[in-house]
Amino acid sequence: MTELLVVIVGLGAPGFLLALAVAGASPVLVFLTPLIGAGLAAVAAVLELGVGGSLFAWYVVVAVIANVAVVALWLAHVRFPTPPDPPWEWSILTLAVVLLALMIPLMALRAELIGGDANSIWLTHALMVSGGHHALVTGLKNPVYSFSNPDYPPLVPAAGALAFALFGRGDLHIAPGTTVLLNACALGAVGTGIAALGGGRRQLTRLGGVAAAGVICLVGFAVAGQFGVDGYTDLLWAAAAVAAVIWGLVLPRSTQALVIAWICAGVATLTKNEGLTTGLALLVLIALRYRPLTLSWVRRLGRHSAGKRFGGVAAWPVTREWAQRAAFVVLPALPGLAWTGVIRRLGLSDRFFQSPSSETLVLRAHATLDGMAGQLAVAPVAAAVLVAGCCLLRRDRERAGFGNPAWLWLSCLASLLTIFATYVFGGFEIYGWLAYSVNRTTIFAQLLLYAELAIWLVIALDTAFADDRVEQRNVSPAAVSVAGRRS
Amino acid sequence: MTRHMRMPGRLAQDGPSVSAARRHLGRRIGCALIVAVAGVALGLSVHHGLQTTTALLRPRSVRQSLVADRQEECIYRAIRSDLPQGAAVYINDQVHIQRLAELSTLWAVPQPSRATARWTIALVPDSSGVPASHARGRCYGLALEVRRA
Repeated sequence: MTELLVVIVGLGAPGFLLALAVAGASPVLVFLTPLIGAGLAAVAAVLELGVGGSLFAWYVVVAVIANVAVVALWLAHVRFPTPPDPPWEWSILTLAVVLLALMIPLMALRAELIGGDANSIWLTHALMVSGGHHALVTGLKNPVYSFSNPDYPPLVPAAGALAFALFGRGDLHIAPGTTVLLNACALGAVGTGIAALGGGRRQLTRLGGVAAAGVICLVGFAVAGQFGVDGYTDLLWAAAAVAAVIWGLVLPRSTQALVIAWICAGVATLTKNEGLTTGLALLVLIALRYRPLTLSWVRRLGRHSAGKRFGGVAAWPVTREWAQRAAFVVLPALPGLAWTGVIRRLGLSDRFFQSPSSETLVLRAHATLDGMAGQLAVAPVAAAVLVAGCCLLRRDRERAGFGNPAWLWLSCLASLLTIFATYVFGGFEIYGWLAYSVNRTTIFAQLLLYAELAIWLVIALDTAFADDRVEQRNVSPAAVSVAGRRS
Repeated sequence: MTRHMRMPGRLAQDGPSVSAARRHLGRRIGCALIVAVAGVALGLSVHHGLQTTTALLRPRSVRQSLVADRQEECIYRAIRSDLPQGAAVYINDQVHIQRLAELSTLWAVPQPSRATARWTIALVPDSSGVPASHARGRCYGLALEVRRA
């Protein structure tokens, strides 16, 4: 365990300044730091594969460039306009509750679980990445290793390879152990996001938010089950994507929340192929929330066609808006897209689609619907709470500046549709494939729906306490007069 | 009716306040329902998670996974002690092909066909009862079999 903590600190050290610049003294800093470090390691792995050299050398280069850039921005007095930090006692309480909640499922690390994909995919790739460019390329292209999904993104293998660089390759368990701690960090980002919902409100709401933060961390590990603690990466991409939804699509709009959402979505895109597609969908939704579509461009274009002399001037703001939206999507996803590009250049592709299936699409669709529905028992409860919340608390939600719940549900649908299409159009025998994986591919949707419950819970608590005060205010003069009459 | 005639002003004031109180009560009941439903759903999930953690930490489960872990590391070391670095190997074991390929990574180079291999490797049952020792290729009930191709 001590070795794992050293690895996490080692991963976090190069990411600390970046995380500090983004998160300030917010409790999310603690969880964002190792995630940024792992993201930098993934960028180094992309360069190792695409350019050459070793992971460690590229990691040092990437970390130095990133930190020099932050220091340069700092010296140039460029600051993220961050909302005021929460009072330190609330930050400490949030951190303590979230860490405590994460430590309970992490006790399972004592069992040193390992096996399945944690070995055949992630440990294998971590060893390849730690062997340098040649070992990585020949390993990924070796047909014997086709079982290991050579096209999978590099964040987890890169973090594992850094662990090997620190402690040698003698203890294989250190790589899956690092993944488990990264799972916890991603869940910590979800928890601190939920706690931030109660920030700046009355104390009871804040307490409710902090409690909900601890609960959602426990729920994350509960949804993932054994796969959260044995080196599988499904919880990592799912929790990172849920954190991106909460910071980017639920919490009030701010530069800080946007950048945290980008980092979390970037982590999701670099972790697994499902994370890449879901992360891209989330980045599109975040771009649309921060740069909403309006009909003004239609009017501008109308004006442009009416008076062509000023056409260039009229079209410029429209072009700029679309360029900003595109940048909002492409920049955070750039490392993930670069990895995909390099992998395609090597001639490697997703093995799910390599051979056509002999089963009919209808049969596959039916089996997939059944399989996915079996995992989404929370969906009807979340939908009921959504309806009740929209009827009763819509205005409270708007007043608090939280995003429309449609964003969250659209994220959920986008992910589920992508996964549904993969099962339906993929080549594997459908029943075996579902039995092996559907409980993991739906972790994002499940966790997101539980997060939706936690969000409404915090809003309902705030409203209930607010109503209490309003009633007390309305009632108190009467109570005084009654008391006066009695006296 | 009599009351209406006696205190019309009072009634006109009470009407909205009564409906506001009802609205407040309705909202509070709605909030309580949302908190209750969300709380129960989250609580059930937490309970399920705690059960999973408890099950994983049962002594029997811990023993099983520790043996699997040790076996994995033993085979990893056996490959490194029984084969020269960079050896071209053919994995002649359809049951353990993934396991042997993954544990050979960075030491031996698994070959897709026997023709290009210098060595063949496989995992066979070890019923010798000799204690686990990677130097002898014996790993908790399995033994690494290495042959020249």
